[in-house]
Amino acid sequence: MRITQNMMSNIFVSNLRRQTEGMLQRQEQIASQKRINRPSDDPAGMGRVLAGRSALAAIDQYTDNIKQGKSRLEASEEILKFVDELIQQARSIAEEKRSAGATADERALAATQVKEIYDQVLQLANSKFNGRYLYSGDQTDTAPFSRDAAYAATYNGDAGGFKISIADHVVVTIDADGRNYFQDAANGGVNIFDELRNLADGLENPDLTVGSTQIGATVDPLQGAHVQIMNKRSEAGPKLYRLQATEEHWSQVRTTVQNAIGREEDIDVAQAIIELKNLETAYESTLAAASRIIQPSLVNFLK
Amino acid sequence: MTHLFGVLSTGASALLMQQRAINVTGNNIANVNTPGYSRQKLNLETATPVQSSLGLMSFGVTSTGIERVYDRFIGVQLTTENANLGRWEAQRSMLDRVEVVFDESGGYGLNQALSDFWSAWQNLSLNPEGGTERAMLASTSQGLADTLRGQYADLEQIREDIDRAVENGVETVNRLVAQIADLNRKIASTEVSGTNANDYRDRRDLVLKQLAEVIDVRSYENADGQVVVSVAGGRPLVESGNTWKLQTMTNADGRTDVLWPDLNGAAVVVTGEISGGNIGGWLQTRDVQIAGYQDQLDALAQGLRDQINSIHAAGYGLDGTTGTALLIGTGAADLQVNSAVLGDFDLIAASATAAGVPGNADNALAIYDLRTALTMSGGTATFDSAANTLVSQVGYDVQTAAANAGHQADMMTYLENYRESVSGVSLDEEMVNLVKFEAAYNAAAKMISMADDMLNQLMSMIR
Repeated sequence: MRITQNMMSNIFVSNLRRQTEGMLQRQEQIASQKRINRPSDDPAGMGRVLAGRSALAAIDQYTDNIKQGKSRLEASEEILKFVDELIQQARSIAEEKRSAGATADERALAATQVKEIYDQVLQLANSKFNGRYLYSGDQTDTAPFSRDAAYAATYNGDAGGFKISIADHVVVTIDADGRNYFQDAANGGVNIFDELRNLADGLENPDLTVGSTQIGATVDPLQGAHVQIMNKRSEAGPKLYRLQATEEHWSQVRTTVQNAIGREEDIDVAQAIIELKNLETAYESTLAAASRIIQPSLVNFLK
Repeated sequence: MTHLFGVLSTGASALLMQQRAINVTGNNIANVNTPGYSRQKLNLETATPVQSSLGLMSFGVTSTGIERVYDRFIGVQLTTENANLGRWEAQRSMLDRVEVVFDESGGYGLNQALSDFWSAWQNLSLNPEGGTERAMLASTSQGLADTLRGQYADLEQIREDIDRAVENGVETVNRLVAQIADLNRKIASTEVSGTNANDYRDRRDLVLKQLAEVIDVRSYENADGQVVVSVAGGRPLVESGNTWKLQTMTNADGRTDVLWPDLNGAAVVVTGEISGGNIGGWLQTRDVQIAGYQDQLDALAQGLRDQINSIHAAGYGLDGTTGTALLIGTGAADLQVNSAVLGDFDLIAASATAAGVPGNADNALAIYDLRTALTMSGGTATFDSAANTLVSQVGYDVQTAAANAGHQADMMTYLENYRESVSGVSLDEEMVNLVKFEAAYNAAAKMISMADDMLNQLMSMIR
């Protein structure tokens, strides 16, 4: 084959271009620590990275949701624990004062105490979490319970529940219907407010004997109220456990997804540096060869 | 004729021819780096022999002309492959710009906008009456609409740039076509006298190659040595000295069309028939790839609008209003968040029932569930996966164009080298020739001076 100077320089130029392109790519990879710096670097890999990122965003959101759900359950637990203590207090008052021996004065004092308890329970039932009423169903901006002068409580909320999504299409509902906690008379439960009112009425009854009967009649329902609150508290237990388990699950999945993304887009630094080194060597030897081969021609030797 | 003067005339022809050969060699050396130059050689041949007392013998050397060393098949192949190179280079350079529009590697783009949007619905579901959550939802919705609109507009910008590029390309075509016609005329008038129009032919080959880079053409040389160039399915551009000027026109879609004037001067749209060269690559990128991406963005925008609005309109805002659309617009080009919603975040319908306001979040959750619903590509993809697929597809297209452009460039290097091997100037060769012709020139001069000596000797005998 007939070889001309231009052929040699053309081949050098195209090879040098290829090598510098390769070096630039490796440099970019090492600088960004990423193997995929634009979609065309690995379209399929880029697709998997993006799918992984969508999954991560969803996982982070679910984890946030779960945290909020847990906080809410914990807040509710604290409130119910307090309500339970108050109910126990009311029950022991009832048990103490049901005896005929309790004087009118003692009963009057106890009545104020019970009214105090009533208002405290009412206040607890109207608790807010993150600025929303906990036990008013969907009517989160309306205080769930109110009472009139005669201590008759009314529920102002509805049957809605607090929903948190913890996974795709998985929603955990936390009961937010205050009636189920405090007024469950309809379902054979105890209307706590009514019983407390009955107790106070009994304590205030001028007829001490009738009063004693009235007081005695509240002991069992108040025990029932304790059970009702305990049931609600234990209802939260498994939910809390479920949230916790799901949170752990997500933190594991998160690691897996993150690793998968890392495997797709992260660079093997050692390998990239070795490749860069190889390219550098090739580049330098090409330059060295070019300087030796392109320069001389017969012109240099003719005198 | 075997007299002493014969030696002088033989020497004179040798001097003349060697000097001419040195001229040709010099011209070769001068054009060693001239693009498209084919090395030339002086065809030497013995002078017409005459009958002498010694028999048939020629006295001296003559030339049959200067010829360029050329392989016509490689020329045709170079032209064809240059059209392919031009096409893929044009596609790659435009798609590189498209890729920037869809560059999600940094974590900003459609994928992120969608994730933010879905998260905002989740956050709203946790606190449906929250002003912050509602403001967040409005701003992420706007972010999503802005991203879709922005990407669409960026693609539109590239399409417009392509239109300008096509217009410039057509101007280049017309300029090169005029040059070819001019060279055709010059070659015809030169060669009618029997001499080779080597340099004109080289230049015409080069211009043809440049023309092929801009638009795919077919060409052949007719019996008169003039090339006939045709474009877009056999429509003539050059026939001997005649040219057809391509035109451009903005069509009903606002895109630039390429037109070819027929014999009656009526312009025919040939956009669809141009498949190679820069113009072919640009048109392909504009009408197939970018149009396809825009269609997908439209499908995404319309899908989001329809699916989200249908759920959103069924829900109730904080103020009890229902039937509100969240996203409005006809496609990705004008997708926007309903300005009424932006003016009053209470219109965001998180509740599924009128009675459920403000705490009910079932509608927010229903909209969030669209994240995993197979709403796109005829019920086979989610919004997220459709957006991700689009990014991957752009990546594939860029990769394909880059691979083809690289392959084509390699092929051109190979062909150019092959051409160079046949037609290129080798300095070593030329130096050898120079030495050779110089030696011959010196020898011829020596011969003349020797004949001169002999003549002097002869003359001195008379004195």
